[in-house]
Amino acid sequence: MSRDEHHPHLENIPAYAIGALDAEEGIALEAHLKTCASCQTELAAYRAVSESLLMATPPKQPSAELRKRLQSRLPSAQKSARPRFAWSFGQLAVGMALVLLLVLNAYSILQIRSLQLTQTQLARQYRTGQTLISMLSYPTTERLAISSDNVVGSLLLDKDRNIVALIVWNMPQLEEDKTYQVWLIDPQGERVSAGIFRPESGQAYTTQIAFPKQSLSDFVGVGVTVEPAGGSDQPTGERIFKVDF
Amino acid sequence: MTGPDDSKLITQVAQGNESAFLTIYDRYVSRVYGLTLHILGEPMLAEEATQDTFLKLWSRAHQYLAEQGPLLPWLLTIARRVALDRLRLEARRPMLSDSNDPDNAWHVLPDSESATEESRWRSLHFTVQALHPDQRKVIELAYYQGLSQSEIAETLGWPLGTVKTRLRAAMEKLREVWNDQ
Repeated sequence: MSRDEHHPHLENIPAYAIGALDAEEGIALEAHLKTCASCQTELAAYRAVSESLLMATPPKQPSAELRKRLQSRLPSAQKSARPRFAWSFGQLAVGMALVLLLVLNAYSILQIRSLQLTQTQLARQYRTGQTLISMLSYPTTERLAISSDNVVGSLLLDKDRNIVALIVWNMPQLEEDKTYQVWLIDPQGERVSAGIFRPESGQAYTTQIAFPKQSLSDFVGVGVTVEPAGGSDQPTGERIFKVDF
Repeated sequence: MTGPDDSKLITQVAQGNESAFLTIYDRYVSRVYGLTLHILGEPMLAEEATQDTFLKLWSRAHQYLAEQGPLLPWLLTIARRVALDRLRLEARRPMLSDSNDPDNAWHVLPDSESATEESRWRSLHFTVQALHPDQRKVIELAYYQGLSQSEIAETLGWPLGTVKTRLRAAMEKLREVWNDQ
């Protein structure tokens, strides 16, 4: 058996060493090289030829500019070349456009929030109005007058559906840390909270509707006091008005 | 070669020493540019490839292992790869015109170098030049143009078997001569 029969890829080693072997033959040779020490030695010898070919081309001097260009790519040159204010006109324009966009965006968000707030208020007013209309149209709803100093209005009492509604004119505006609180008064004079409210700005009257957990039949009157924001467990502040059922 | 040895310089380059980097550049740029110019054939492209090669040296200096061989072959291996990649990028194939004819490629005379370096490359250079023109042509296209044997056969219009035989014969000749040196 000849040497080539033992090493079927031997003749391909020179081409492989300089990267000229076609892909399929390269794969076959690489598989053979894994198990053949003799062919590995042969390859090492041709690798040395390949390395010598690297060294065999004539040296040539490039232009002096190349060294300068290369130096300008090094970190020290990059650092010193970086201007304090390196924005071009185009970059500045883009930057300003971005700032303007952000401002417009923020303004739009504020506008949307304001509209959402208005929408919520209108929806609440609509529901309140609908409730008041339904109460007024209900045959057993009682209407009691509210009258105290400058404050006037009506109290609607619907004991069947257990709803009490206040429509009050001229309620004074409150400081930020204050609120009005509605109290239901039982026959023993005990007060049970029926909610808090603030007069709506820009409106001469204020409406407040309460749906008490206890039956309205257990109470004999309604009062409103000024309390710290968030409300109190029992009345602590100035009474605005009181209505007996 | 005067000044610090390559392994010391490359260690310094790996630590970010630009002065050491420029020393290596001054020492070997003519070898790198000579190779890239030989492969690409155009000074502008060759300078770009040379710049890319040295930038790779700058960023990969920590990968160099002195025990695996001298710095110059490592650097030239990078340069060859960069130039061949550029050749593929440009989708250029050897035109075999007067300026790029492999027959002519080996007749360029070098710039002045140190005596030792010059005698080293001259010896290698003239060994290649002494090959039979057909063998030299195959080596040129395979090694310096990055063509496979079947691509060489297509380019030159030779049978594939002829290309293989001539390439093998050329490599055996080079091995024989360089082993004796």
